[in-house]
Amino acid sequence: MIELQGLTKTYGGKDVVSDVSMTVDSGEFCVLIGPSGCGKSTTLKMINRLIPLSAGRVILNGEDVTTLPEEQLRRRMGYAIQSIGLFPHWTVAQNIAVVPRLLGWPKSRIDDRVEELMHLFHLDPDFRAKHPHQLSGGQAQRVGVARALAADPEVLLMDEPFGALDPITREALQAEMQRVHQETGKTVVFVTHDMDEALKLASRFAILNQGRLVQYDRPIELMFEPADDFVQDFLGKSDLGLKLLSRRWVHQYTADAPYAGVRASQGEIIETMRSYGHVWLVDDQGRPEGLFGARLGVAREAQQGLGRLTQVETDWTATPDMTMKEALSRMVWRRVTALPVVDDAGHLAGEVTMDGIMGRQP
Amino acid sequence: MTTPTVLVSGTDARRWMLLGALSLLLAALVLFMRDLEPLFRDAFPDLDTPVYVRETFLQLTLDHIVLVLVSSAISVSVGVAAAVFVTRRMGREFEPLVSALSAIGQTFPPAAVLAIVVPLAGFGFTPTIVALTLYGLLPVVQNTIAGLGTVPPAALEAARGTGMSRWQILFRVELPLAMRVIIAGVRVSVIINIGTATIGSTVGAKSLGTPIIAGLVGDNIAYVIQGAVVVGLLAIVTDLAFERLERRFTFGAQAGGGAGA
Repeated sequence: MIELQGLTKTYGGKDVVSDVSMTVDSGEFCVLIGPSGCGKSTTLKMINRLIPLSAGRVILNGEDVTTLPEEQLRRRMGYAIQSIGLFPHWTVAQNIAVVPRLLGWPKSRIDDRVEELMHLFHLDPDFRAKHPHQLSGGQAQRVGVARALAADPEVLLMDEPFGALDPITREALQAEMQRVHQETGKTVVFVTHDMDEALKLASRFAILNQGRLVQYDRPIELMFEPADDFVQDFLGKSDLGLKLLSRRWVHQYTADAPYAGVRASQGEIIETMRSYGHVWLVDDQGRPEGLFGARLGVAREAQQGLGRLTQVETDWTATPDMTMKEALSRMVWRRVTALPVVDDAGHLAGEVTMDGIMGRQP
Repeated sequence: MTTPTVLVSGTDARRWMLLGALSLLLAALVLFMRDLEPLFRDAFPDLDTPVYVRETFLQLTLDHIVLVLVSSAISVSVGVAAAVFVTRRMGREFEPLVSALSAIGQTFPPAAVLAIVVPLAGFGFTPTIVALTLYGLLPVVQNTIAGLGTVPPAALEAARGTGMSRWQILFRVELPLAMRVIIAGVRVSVIINIGTATIGSTVGAKSLGTPIIAGLVGDNIAYVIQGAVVVGLLAIVTDLAFERLERRFTFGAQAGGGAGA
């Protein structure tokens, strides 16, 4: 856990970062985002004091580290940057091992750790003895991030680490970062100006503008309750809602589906319909066959009875590993407010509904 | 990939061979100059003693090397320290001063330095060392400043970010990365001093300049040639050796390839 309290940076009488306070809980992936010149990078560099603080404090796991010697502090925080900054005269293994060596780890422990990290980042063991100029950009940044993680730091600071990579490599490293974050559970503070990247990685957003922290929230809260016009504008420039849903999975939204067997009596079906507003009809094997209700404009019909049965066709069922964006797209296309979720065998396993999308905190 | 590798190693091998051959030639000349007497007698039949024999060439060469080693050691330590100082934050304002001083050191003729130092320090070894040290300072200072300037800013930021102290950054990152350019400066400095050390003999320091001066004074052109050829060979061999050394400090980024950034 890391707490920033009133972080301020003044250059020539002007605040470039002004009174930024926030708490990043353990295991959070916090993305600092904002337009260029908003102070996001300065804020990050004040955390490990590459830029000295004009005012404020940094609390690392309850300990005030503002007055700790800079070098000691930095060895407790991993640091990865856009320009990577591998040491050209050292091998990959030596580059990864830099902080453990500074900390005086025994050689065998360093070797084990380097091996472990190279494995974590899917770097071929042959790379150990290579020099940075022999690596591609993506490989070099994998080494850069591995170096940042080498001494098992309490926090990982990343300053636009994937900003200089080509789009395909960037996506690959984002996915890898996501995996590594899940596997290591590290607290990450990550600077970017790329909303797609932020949405892919962030569990929390810190939006900065003109040196001020304007909102610090979970992604969904930003969407529904933007703090001010700036945040709204900043988010509104992108198709944020759809992007968010493209990072979410059907299984995260699946709820129990109200259903009735094809042989159920009309009374039973109507009763289920009254409680839930709609009902799935399943065949003897449990496969969804049809849907009563849950269509736009059918609410009135439903009050009088079952209304029209919508045939379930295979192209509008959802599977648990489908993105919510695709599920939503199918709902729009089929003009229904619920989709059946089916398992591998085609059995009704649950449903995703429009209400579920709107109601759940992604 | 194979073709350029072979080409490079071919050139490499050839340079090593050249270095070896010239070193052998130098050693042979230094050790067996006296045995060349018939040759010089044929070339200069008017001379009584066509080969310089007051000291052995081995002794003169060793004296010469000591002069160069001592003065270069001082030039390099003072020069590198001064350049490191003016590239730190606290010394930055002294950079123009240090550059100017080292430039004066080189533009001031060594003969003039001798003329000034001899009355103060006497004849022989000391004034020669002072003159050579001043003369060799500039290339070291300039190249160290330039070399430290070639260290990629990203590597410096990473070094700071990983928690290296200033000294660790200097010794583990900056100096190793600047080493190729620094060595190039030391190379120039040493080569200049190998040539210049000969004038030490005008104030009584023993060197390969001694037969040259004796030849000039005594109108013995053979002495001049013997001294000059050995000095020239020594300079060429040293230069080739430095060239080999510089290669060892060439890393990918400096060879022109990207560092993946």
